[in-house]
Amino acid sequence: MPDRKSPFTRREFIASSALVGAASLAMPSILRAQGAGVKLGILHPVSGALSYSGTQGRLGATLAIEEINAAGGIKGLGKIDPLLGDALSTPEGGTAEVEKMNSAGVAAIVGGYASAVCLAVSQAASRYDLPYVVDVGVADSIVTRGLKNTFRFGPGFGVIAKTALENLAAINDAAGKPAKTVMIVHEDSLFGSGLAKLLNAQLPAHGFQILETIPHPTPTRDFNNVVLKIKAQNPDLVIPADYYNEYVLLARTMQQQKVKPKGIYSVLGGAASSYKFVKEFPEAAKYIMDCNHWFDPRNPKALALKKKVEDKGQFYTYEVYMNYSCVMLVADALARAGSADRAKLTAALESSTFSGHVMPYGPTKFVNGQNQGAAPVNTQVLDNDIKVVLPANFAQAKPVFPMPA
Amino acid sequence: MRGLLQIAVVVAVLAAVPLVVQSNTTLNFLVVTLLIALAGQGWNILGGYGGQYSFGHAAFFGTGAYVTAILQVRYGVNAWLAFGAGIVLGAAVGGVIGALTFRAGLRGSYFALVSLAFAEVLRIVASVAPITGAGVGTLVKLDLRVEALQFQSRAVFYWVILALVAVSLLVAQRLERTRFGTWLIAVRENEDAAKALGVNATQVKLGAMVISAAITAAAGCFYTQYFLFVDSGIAFGTRMSIEALLTPIIGGAGTVFGPLLGALVVQALGEGAKLVAGDAPGLSLIVYGCVLVLVIAFAPRGLIGLVETIYRRVARPTKREAAHD
Repeated sequence: MPDRKSPFTRREFIASSALVGAASLAMPSILRAQGAGVKLGILHPVSGALSYSGTQGRLGATLAIEEINAAGGIKGLGKIDPLLGDALSTPEGGTAEVEKMNSAGVAAIVGGYASAVCLAVSQAASRYDLPYVVDVGVADSIVTRGLKNTFRFGPGFGVIAKTALENLAAINDAAGKPAKTVMIVHEDSLFGSGLAKLLNAQLPAHGFQILETIPHPTPTRDFNNVVLKIKAQNPDLVIPADYYNEYVLLARTMQQQKVKPKGIYSVLGGAASSYKFVKEFPEAAKYIMDCNHWFDPRNPKALALKKKVEDKGQFYTYEVYMNYSCVMLVADALARAGSADRAKLTAALESSTFSGHVMPYGPTKFVNGQNQGAAPVNTQVLDNDIKVVLPANFAQAKPVFPMPA
Repeated sequence: MRGLLQIAVVVAVLAAVPLVVQSNTTLNFLVVTLLIALAGQGWNILGGYGGQYSFGHAAFFGTGAYVTAILQVRYGVNAWLAFGAGIVLGAAVGGVIGALTFRAGLRGSYFALVSLAFAEVLRIVASVAPITGAGVGTLVKLDLRVEALQFQSRAVFYWVILALVAVSLLVAQRLERTRFGTWLIAVRENEDAAKALGVNATQVKLGAMVISAAITAAAGCFYTQYFLFVDSGIAFGTRMSIEALLTPIIGGAGTVFGPLLGALVVQALGEGAKLVAGDAPGLSLIVYGCVLVLVIAFAPRGLIGLVETIYRRVARPTKREAAHD
């Protein structure tokens, strides 16, 4: 390549001025990190493939912190100073943030969202005995490795799959067993594959025949072939296990291709019990059933939070109230520990009987880091709204199954 | 000798960093940077020196990562042995892919596409095969003992990856000095001319592929030991293929220090962009992308090429002045 004549000074000038600009812009965030009170790490994948869920999770956590701080902070310890981290939707991203949060001196970390991120984050945090509360990550291996620092307030795969299967069988039996054949569509990372494996092992025992299990990566931007396969096999039930975007796309593609099974029953369906989905695509969402994380519809605190989130123009998704509850759980433990000391806080979390959350759970009791009271509920999209249909003690409506044509 | 001295100085300076810097945040950042540099150096052997632009180096990275994890978790093999096995099997995968593609005479963009396809095939296989844990992935047990190749201190991890990078630098430096390396460069410059001069192009490319795969596989093995979790997206996803080719291209493909410099700059840019963007999610990626475009636009031969150009511009007039004296 021939050398060009122009000197480099202009470019050097641009480069150096850009650096100066970067440095001056960077200063405020360093200054902001200082402050009294208790530092709490709020870690979510707010960019990358899981950014929507991560952003919602961050919203829930920050709303809880705002509420606690508005009420004067934590007794004896002062206000919570959140350190917001971005896990970039990767385990490495999560680990890097844990290092930063640890050196900033946080009392605990809340978040993670995706199972792969939670696994990496819990291990990185365990190096420093730093308490870590998993917000969503459902892989059972997160809490079965004997890490003393890791707590999960919500339910794991095992419990969710068991509840989902029992409830599916109950709904099917009550309707006179119209559904016999099943197809499973799942995303191929930890969450979807783990679930597909459990379903494959346990559905036959409940009298269902699995026609096919179709994995796909996240992100996937076209479901035409998957839906064509479903159309060809014509199963009674379709069980999707996807994150939000893929779930919406799958449901819309099924609607476009006029594929109407007797039911769409999801387990942890990324969109199945999402107000955003129901509002934006009411036709595609109609009658979809889901076994998922959900708030307690009888709890006034849960409804007040819902209103607050909706007033902000946001959707009240499970990431919001789960993170809200997790931050409240940590705040309660901090207040009881009376200190931001990591060992004391871990002990306070272990012995927690926290009830100030907004979830439809039984009494809080941690065994090996897993909250024994945690359980999912069944919801269904009815009248452009999402109603709890099972268990009976939280139900707002009866399940409609099979789907009316 | 001069090349060896340069490597010795660079490695010595880098090795001293943990003695000065105590922050685990910085060490973690440097470990990830060196990991990318190692994967990039692997790519550099084949792409930079051999001119075979692979888009699928994740195939080797992933093989290393999975072999290290699976041997430990499923077969109870010692972590050090598993690490070695990961490198060997990574090289073997390189040999197989190389034999298939080079014997078929695939060059240029055809080779790039086929290499990408191999990595994708491996990703899909890994996401369904029971031995890899399918989509659930494989989790290595946290066991902070030297025998398990896990260390409490991030500094030790740093020295381990630095040692691997040092070896890869020596390999690249040897390439510039040996007959094999000269053949490889000849193939890059003009494969037909090289053949006409009696170079067995297929064999030379295959050799480069095996070395290249072994180095990138070592990066994968290290990833497993450091993060203790691997799934199909991490191991064989396109992200690692892109990181592995981006760093040498930015730093200077076909140079000894190109991948190391590229990794340092690219990772520092990523972190710097995060600082600038603060809590605004995703903004850092936009800043990062813009700067990358600028680097490519203004330094098409990589940063080392840019430095050489500047050096020549500065050095030439002084020589002329010297001649006038």
